[in-house]
Amino acid sequence: MIYGSRTDGVIVTGATGNQGAFHIRLMNEYAQSVGGKGVVAGVTPGKGGQEVHGVPVYNTIKEALTEVSATKAVLFVPAKAACESIMESAEAGIDCVVAITEHIPVHDVMKAVAYAKLYDCEVIGPNCPGLLSPGEIKLGIMPSQLFTKGNIGVISRSGTLTYEVVDLLSKAGFGQSTVIGIGGDPVIGQTFTDVLAHFEDDKETDAVVIIGEVGGNLEEEGVRSTEIPLVAYIAGVSAPEEKRMGHAGAIIEGGEGDARSKIERLRRLNAPVAQKPSEIPQLLKEIL
Amino acid sequence: MKFLEFEAKNILKAYGVPVPKGILVKSIQELEDALPSLPEKIVLKAQVDVGGRGKAGGIIITDKERALKDITDLFSRSIKGRSVNSVLVEEALEIKKEYYCSIIVDRKEKSPVIIFTDEGGVEIEVTAQKNPHALRKARITPLLQNVPDFILRSLLRGAQKEIGPVINALFRVFVEKDAILAEINPLVLTESGIYAADAKLIIDDNSLARQGITVNRDLTERERTALIHGFSYVELKGSIGVIGNGAGLTMATLDLIEYSGEKAANFLDVGGGADQERVAHALRLVASDPSVKVVVVNLLGGITRCDEVAKGIIAANVAPHIIVRLAGTNEKEGKIILESQGYEMVSTMEEAIQRACQVVK
Repeated sequence: MIYGSRTDGVIVTGATGNQGAFHIRLMNEYAQSVGGKGVVAGVTPGKGGQEVHGVPVYNTIKEALTEVSATKAVLFVPAKAACESIMESAEAGIDCVVAITEHIPVHDVMKAVAYAKLYDCEVIGPNCPGLLSPGEIKLGIMPSQLFTKGNIGVISRSGTLTYEVVDLLSKAGFGQSTVIGIGGDPVIGQTFTDVLAHFEDDKETDAVVIIGEVGGNLEEEGVRSTEIPLVAYIAGVSAPEEKRMGHAGAIIEGGEGDARSKIERLRRLNAPVAQKPSEIPQLLKEIL
Repeated sequence: MKFLEFEAKNILKAYGVPVPKGILVKSIQELEDALPSLPEKIVLKAQVDVGGRGKAGGIIITDKERALKDITDLFSRSIKGRSVNSVLVEEALEIKKEYYCSIIVDRKEKSPVIIFTDEGGVEIEVTAQKNPHALRKARITPLLQNVPDFILRSLLRGAQKEIGPVINALFRVFVEKDAILAEINPLVLTESGIYAADAKLIIDDNSLARQGITVNRDLTERERTALIHGFSYVELKGSIGVIGNGAGLTMATLDLIEYSGEKAANFLDVGGGADQERVAHALRLVASDPSVKVVVVNLLGGITRCDEVAKGIIAANVAPHIIVRLAGTNEKEGKIILESQGYEMVSTMEEAIQRACQVVK
């Protein structure tokens, strides 16, 4: 597993909102099923003293940490509060923040990620589903029923497409070590390169599936940086230029980051690229 | 959202960047009225947000005598498919040297990056390919509000020192206006000093609200309606309508259509946890496009419940044939609801696309 294990306590910020409360329940159901610590505190300014599904709520992260022990945070706060929430987590000593929140201004993301780095805090996302290491920990909103434990790592810029691929992997007998959604924004904390470095050090991971899309060239960057066997899929061959395809980061700008040239560059780096998600299990068989 | 040149220049001017003297006119009459106060040599610049505007005939260098005839011509033109609604009329500059300066959001650096060259006058993409060493780049940590002097010096080297404050002003505009691109191209040196001869500014769509922008002009009418409902929607040119949940899954669905040799009519991501009403809205929106012959609904239920989706599809009651693929939470319930009403159900996205392609043929 990477980024977290069942022994990590988790804080959820934006705990009293609909999404926050709903996913505190699901994360704790998962933690219970694997014997993990799960969500030990919620944080919402002004709502300290309340409880959400039996989890105590505090006004600040520092206040929560005087009473519970936690090393990870999952953010469900609104976009305009997200930059503050990431910085607050880092400053309080949280070592990994998963930012689920979508539509955060890119300048806020750049600032929050740079600030978190000063405190050696890793930011996953924003605009991501978080991560799930089967049998260990769920940090975020991934639907755990599709996952099985195994030796395949998955890194994705997407949410539901990741679940589609995880489902295909599970059905083909490929369990997963850790599945991580790194986010659909142009600027994100942990990139393919960062996550691949973690997977290289992870004894439980033998191969990785990377699910990329149009926009930027961080997929190629990641593949160039690693020795670990991997299979790639890139979404967006049908995407027109200068149009945002749902994700803020899924845009071909100035003729850069289109899917076909990305696929070609990955193939030149000797990475097998699936044309359809359903081809991924077969390509994995060939490299393992 | 892209700002037009005159809007970008007004902002730059407010931040202390010298721009050529000019006025914005929306009719031939307005130019006629302003003519007496204009200098002898002038430039007419169509205010359309397309790249390669000059080559497409959107910029005319002229003089007072010919100006009315030329602007009449310019207003009647279409520049890369855009009609000309306003023209920026500026004094023509006597250019001694051209520079290029831009600031971008760099994904790899996770920071703003300034790009400067004193070998301007050539398309920047050409310089990047043929003479990459001429492009000087500097990463600025997003924790700073101004460009440190040592970085300005490293960018400028021998270049005119008046450019330093211009780069810093451009950086402040970039940060304070939530830009994802701020560009002065060309930045020119004349007898009377440095001027931003052309400017480009693109604002982060996630920051429009806090920048006080209520309407994103880059979107079509239908795309704006979609945004109000919370959908990500992009109009395309084919005849297969697509509704998916999640940007990646929806893109992957579109790609299968592309690989099959057909074209999608749209990209529509209903987002997470869509209920009956949202699904119905989405379906009606897609069906409102007259080019749509068939609609593929491809939803993977996590937070989204398939029975809710099924009820939404029935409630929408739209004309085009619908092919539905549902998987995940409450899949069985969803299937029962739809099959009882005679809807076509398939179990994989590949099957859905195969069937859709058969229907449009």
